Amino acid sequence: MGQAAATCATLQAGTRALEFRPVLGPDGGDRVPLAPLPGRDLAETAPPDWLPAIEALAAEIPPAPWGAARHPVFVTSSNFGVGNLYAFRRTREPAHLVQATPSASVEFLRRRLGWGANVSLLSHACVSAHIGLLLATRVLAAGLAERALVFTFDFISPFVTGGFHALKILNGEMPAPYSARAAGSIGLGDGAAFAVLGRGPGEFQISGQQIHNEMHHFTANQADGAGFRACLAPLASAAAGRRLWIKGHGTGTLEAGRLEAETLARLFPAAPLVSWKGSLGHTLGSCGLVELALALAAIKSGRTPGSVGSTAPCFTDTVATESFANAGFDGVLLASNAFGGAHAALLLSHD
Amino acid sequence: MSDPLFARLKQLIVDTLKLEDLPAADIPDDEPLIGGGLNLDSIDALELVVRLEKEFGIKITNSEEARTALASVARLAAFIRARAPKDKLPA
Repeated sequence: MGQAAATCATLQAGTRALEFRPVLGPDGGDRVPLAPLPGRDLAETAPPDWLPAIEALAAEIPPAPWGAARHPVFVTSSNFGVGNLYAFRRTREPAHLVQATPSASVEFLRRRLGWGANVSLLSHACVSAHIGLLLATRVLAAGLAERALVFTFDFISPFVTGGFHALKILNGEMPAPYSARAAGSIGLGDGAAFAVLGRGPGEFQISGQQIHNEMHHFTANQADGAGFRACLAPLASAAAGRRLWIKGHGTGTLEAGRLEAETLARLFPAAPLVSWKGSLGHTLGSCGLVELALALAAIKSGRTPGSVGSTAPCFTDTVATESFANAGFDGVLLASNAFGGAHAALLLSHD
Repeated sequence: MSDPLFARLKQLIVDTLKLEDLPAADIPDDEPLIGGGLNLDSIDALELVVRLEKEFGIKITNSEEARTALASVARLAAFIRARAPKDKLPA
């Protein structure tokens, strides 16, 4: 949220942002692990109460003619303003419609933040931010842009939390990513981040990206882990010779967490694996970029936060439950997965 | 004499999942519901869980508990008998 260094420090200290809160916000319900922005209670307001946070984040974007022909903007989210759509359905207040659909939400932000017309909207559940990064990279590689801005946001609402609660994965337990427990659970959190990408050398390089969709089932992965392998195996080749740590998806569900951890351990046996969703919650479509920002902060600080909330036994010995020094590593693999069987991964290299 | 709870559960499965060509009595007592002959998936399981919670006044707290409860009709009946108020059970 424009405060990656501070958030990274709280992760290094092992602090959980998640707290037990009513699943439906002001309407109550079971208490589940949530991490909304400070001051948000999931009330459905118009304009939405997350707007000031978006504006504060956008104020940190390096100045450029964003949205002009050679400065494209890619806006990604899994929910956009779906909370406002639900609020409109309940209240019939037209003010909610301003952010109620993806296109309306992005157009509102485009005008509010003063961007030009070259703004694209992307959504693919929890790999949305990765898709934005991938397309931005391709546009730059094709010589179609000087720099590209990827902007992502996902703010939880009763519609979103109620849906995950109905699936029984957002429940009365704190998440413990990659821990071999009897029952799984996730937390949900607010997230927003941006990345400015350019061509040429820099402190950090995106040296590989991969996406894959299993096309197997809405909410389940192929039981043999083939979907995870299809996405991650090509990056094992690309990472040859590098010493990596891995920021995994690791929401706290059991089956997907086990498949992910086991696949990563087979392909990258020396790479410690972390997930920060046990602290921050799952920030849904924004997680790929939010967690990339935290990874960069971790590299700059010299210490990678461990998997907050996770305890042994874990699915594999590669899971790092404690923070560790990252000097001597020269790359990070960042992976995300999504409903529908989507997988995305990004290889970040640095000197 | 058939167990009225078994019969009720089988009818509920047929009705909830709109299994129009399947007589409720043909659902076996002990075969897996998820991934077995009925080929129900996690979305079907979710629909059943919602209906079961409403019908019997029970609470299924997480997806692993749902999977355990839905292991078979017999396991589901035992799960419900252990948790539902007596007045919610068929006589």
